[in-house]
Amino acid sequence: MFASIISYGLAVGAVYALIGITYNVMFSASRVFSFTAGMLGMLGGVLGALFIKDWGINAVLGFVAVLACGAVLGLVTEILTVRPVLKNIEQHLYVLSTLAFALMIQQVTAIEYGTEAYPFPVLIPIDANSILAIVDQKFWLPVLACIVTIVGLEFLYRRTLIGRAFLAIAEDSYAARALGLPETRLRMASYALAGVIGTLAGFTGAQMLLAFIGNQPILNFYGFVPVALGGMGSNRGAVIGGLALGLFQQAANFLVGGIFAAVAVFAVFIVVLLLRPEGLAGASAARRV
Amino acid sequence: MSIKRRTVLTGSAAGVVSLTSGLAAPAIAQSDPIKIGYLPALTGPSSSTGVGINRGTQLAVEEINKAGGIKGRKIELITRDTQSDPTKAVNAVAELTQRAKASMIWGPVNSGEALAATPLIARDKVPMLHPCWVDELIDVKKYPMAFRIAPTNTQVGGGANHYVVDVLKLKKVAVVSDTTGYGTASANTYVPMLKAKGAEVVYTNHVDAANPDLKPELLRMQSAGAQAIMPWSVNAGFLSRILNTRGAMGWDVPVVGQTTLGSGQTKALLEKPENWNKVYSNNFRNCCYVNGKLPPRAADYVERLKKEKIEFADTLLWWVALGWDGAFMMADALKNAGTKNEDIVAYMNKVKDWPGIYGTVTWTPEQHNGFPDQEVVMCEVNSLRDGAFNIAPGYSS
Repeated sequence: MFASIISYGLAVGAVYALIGITYNVMFSASRVFSFTAGMLGMLGGVLGALFIKDWGINAVLGFVAVLACGAVLGLVTEILTVRPVLKNIEQHLYVLSTLAFALMIQQVTAIEYGTEAYPFPVLIPIDANSILAIVDQKFWLPVLACIVTIVGLEFLYRRTLIGRAFLAIAEDSYAARALGLPETRLRMASYALAGVIGTLAGFTGAQMLLAFIGNQPILNFYGFVPVALGGMGSNRGAVIGGLALGLFQQAANFLVGGIFAAVAVFAVFIVVLLLRPEGLAGASAARRV
Repeated sequence: MSIKRRTVLTGSAAGVVSLTSGLAAPAIAQSDPIKIGYLPALTGPSSSTGVGINRGTQLAVEEINKAGGIKGRKIELITRDTQSDPTKAVNAVAELTQRAKASMIWGPVNSGEALAATPLIARDKVPMLHPCWVDELIDVKKYPMAFRIAPTNTQVGGGANHYVVDVLKLKKVAVVSDTTGYGTASANTYVPMLKAKGAEVVYTNHVDAANPDLKPELLRMQSAGAQAIMPWSVNAGFLSRILNTRGAMGWDVPVVGQTTLGSGQTKALLEKPENWNKVYSNNFRNCCYVNGKLPPRAADYVERLKKEKIEFADTLLWWVALGWDGAFMMADALKNAGTKNEDIVAYMNKVKDWPGIYGTVTWTPEQHNGFPDQEVVMCEVNSLRDGAFNIAPGYSS
């Protein structure tokens, strides 16, 4: 039981954390909560199964193609659903535009690919007797993807000029633009990056979650929880929040089971937000008076 | 009395009218095709059943028309694809009943569309035949012209319960469903039925179908002493996870439930082919192999279809048989009762032991559910060949 809680909890938690990071990367660049994160996760699984299993493309090329599709979708999201509503961001129209775009893509997937859950291929052929087979790849792949992503993002944001430029627009886009930073191009790059991370989450988690359009609303919601728990814009918070959510959810599955497990997750979520509205890792924002 | 010109003209005009209406009308009626409205879901997410039923229906209508139709009149099947969408079904109903003046309606073949369309067809007073299972579709007071040629959901659940409790003689049962309307409604209906049969339901729960790990649920069932698992869901992902977890736990307990357990989608998601052993899904006695052979009616039917090069590789025998039976049942009603709606209903109310390929149908004025309980059986899901399955072990043949 304990092993099952840890393995499933960490794996699902890593997928939630990556979806949380997807939200954050888009949020940092535009102050917009784009509800396309779950869609990207769902497509990571569906496109991966389509390319590798149905079309017979080699796993590595399939993986690259899925991430490329994610990047393109990220760009399309920015151009079609975010840019037109940025001027009146206080009206929160992005909720409608991003959600509508995500639902459209989900419907197209349902029509073209199907509404059933489909199997996702085993990506890495591992001999059953080798040391790597002790823990199934469906558990360690999303965790590995999460580690690589968070290390990569930390490196990008702290050590590179372009990363610092990202941070600059996240802090104050007006000032950044005044300093001559190409805000629009940087925002587009952020959305492409978010597309890559979102599809990566879905792709690496798909051996566990299957290639299934029903994953979209679940990832949209459970990926948002770590962002709210960890503090908006905080990737470290999202990782801690995501892993904690996965472990807690799996423990609740064992302890109470059935629909009560979902109720337990919601209950903890609400209690945490009541106690710390800014999130566990977020700093409370000082209001200018 | 003088005969005026006007009187003569009026009289002869009346004579001409009475002559034409008395003589010409039957002549037109006899050559006209008889229209049957048909509402299959041929595209969209729940279309595999519709495509199978359609194959049987089209073949039957072709055969009836080749043999001279109904008293010399051909059947014209007016097909409107509902695209698995209740709104489209509702629009098609208006067209079929009001503009096309169909004599009977076959379908819709999916429950969601049938629930939306039935009240409208009843309002327009057109006799209809249902191939779907939802209990609410048949109500002799609300829909006196609706008849069902298939089992109800209650019969389907009852068939599974009968197999577990009476045939396998297992008394401790775990019932699990997903959280959809179908899943929860099925589990909530079948659990009291199981208890009424004397079984002990040691575990029951509704689980989110997207939950990737069902081990906690199965461990709970195992520790409660369950001797059989009865999952109610049409979600292949959910069902395959139950089967894979059961396999990984090495737990040798039968899984008994709905037809999706035996679908190709579920099979594709199995981690090992052995995980499909000891899994029994709903099926129908006339369309199952008993000791390697189909019952005589179905065997003759399959032989005939094979001669016409009809293959069952991508569909199921019971779907095709159901489509075939529906068309022949309507043709029988139209042949014996004509095309007036009251006459058709009066005829169908008296149908007794009608020998279909799919089922033996009996209706009475009080009961328009025509499928017999004893023909709802379970089959071995891993035994599919030529569109049919082996009957599950334990039934007397």
